[in-house]
Amino acid sequence: MSEMPQPTVMIVDDEDMVVGAIQSFLELETSYDVLPFTSPEIALETLEERPTHVIVADFMMPGMDGVSFLTRARELRPAATRILLTGYADKQNAIRAINEAGLYAYLEKPWNNEALKLIVRNAAERSRLFEELDRRVGELERANEELAGFRQRLIHAFL
Amino acid sequence: MASATSRPGDHQGLINQAHLATLGTLVAGVAHELNTPLGAIHSNHDVIERALRRLQDILADEVVTTDELAQVRKIVRAMDGVLATNRIAVERMVKLVDSLGTFGRPDRAERDRVDLREGLEGTLTVLAHALKGIEVVRDLKDIPAIECYPNRLNQVFMNLIHNAVQAMDEGGMLTVRSIPEGDGVRIEIEDTGKGIPPDVIARIFDPGFTTKGRRVGMGLGLAITRQIVDHHGGEISVDSAVGRGTVFRIRLPVRLPGPEAREGGSDEGR
Repeated sequence: MSEMPQPTVMIVDDEDMVVGAIQSFLELETSYDVLPFTSPEIALETLEERPTHVIVADFMMPGMDGVSFLTRARELRPAATRILLTGYADKQNAIRAINEAGLYAYLEKPWNNEALKLIVRNAAERSRLFEELDRRVGELERANEELAGFRQRLIHAFL
Repeated sequence: MASATSRPGDHQGLINQAHLATLGTLVAGVAHELNTPLGAIHSNHDVIERALRRLQDILADEVVTTDELAQVRKIVRAMDGVLATNRIAVERMVKLVDSLGTFGRPDRAERDRVDLREGLEGTLTVLAHALKGIEVVRDLKDIPAIECYPNRLNQVFMNLIHNAVQAMDEGGMLTVRSIPEGDGVRIEIEDTGKGIPPDVIARIFDPGFTTKGRRVGMGLGLAITRQIVDHHGGEISVDSAVGRGTVFRIRLPVRLPGPEAREGGSDEGR
């Protein structure tokens, strides 16, 4: 089995304080590559270029709300696991959106660091498993093609 | 375009209730505004504790290995981030408390000469959470300081800006203007919200009139707003177009009228 690279975690919140606090915590407690953003638009541009495993985005952002952002993010990185950060006041709207956009989890502000770590770790594991599954399916398909080739050659050999 | 101008009236009995309603908006705004910096500091506190425990572990055996040295570097990097974030968070809270100062300071309940732009900025700070997703345009021309009760006028700004925000639940643009005008100032609060229908606009300054439903308000916000403006010898008017937006204009004289002048103003309207 090939060596797995460290998961990449993207954090998007218009408040630099939130992004900064989560970044410091993850940098101390994990060895993930952390990508901090205060602009969802720029975060999307980065997603186009950079494989990302976990995306954490705030719900209430000016310009583009977190659910729209995460929906666009899925188009760019279908295997990435997406998590919504929500304030207490927008919980109801957020939960509805979570179901509609098929998100993995939501985290309520103010967040608990231990819970954050657990959710992000599980999300990273989920993404890794998806990648692994993708790889295995690819291998199986190649093996199948090879088998088909063998069969073809066998048939030719005996006919 | 529908419009209305205030008619002075006397509704002292309602004033305390309305103050409570404004206080509610203020407290909700402050709580919301404090939430983000507090959340960041709370998280950072936890990060510092974890970092300290790790450093203690590393130092416990008196030997620092190369591996541990790499860990120390990582901790230092995280602490740099913690400091930067805490600085922003503390500055945010200081700014909020400052603007609250101009808002609720008891000495500001007394008459004073102030530049109203200060109160407008303070109100925008306190309501910042509600203004997310709304473009705020500050068209603040130099205006003379006016004699007034600053607390009361802040309450007016809060009511009008809060109403404007509620009218723009799908986003929009809020324009706040200060304009020198004759022997006084004009303040305008304009939104691009849903507007006020013509059959409603004539009654919006009446006490007890509300379109928001009893759960949202008591219908006192604009009645009190008018009353405060009246007491300052000023005038409030509104122009609105359904689907386009609303602009409230407040004209205030540089000098606060004496008690006699105010009484005279009230009689006129009866």
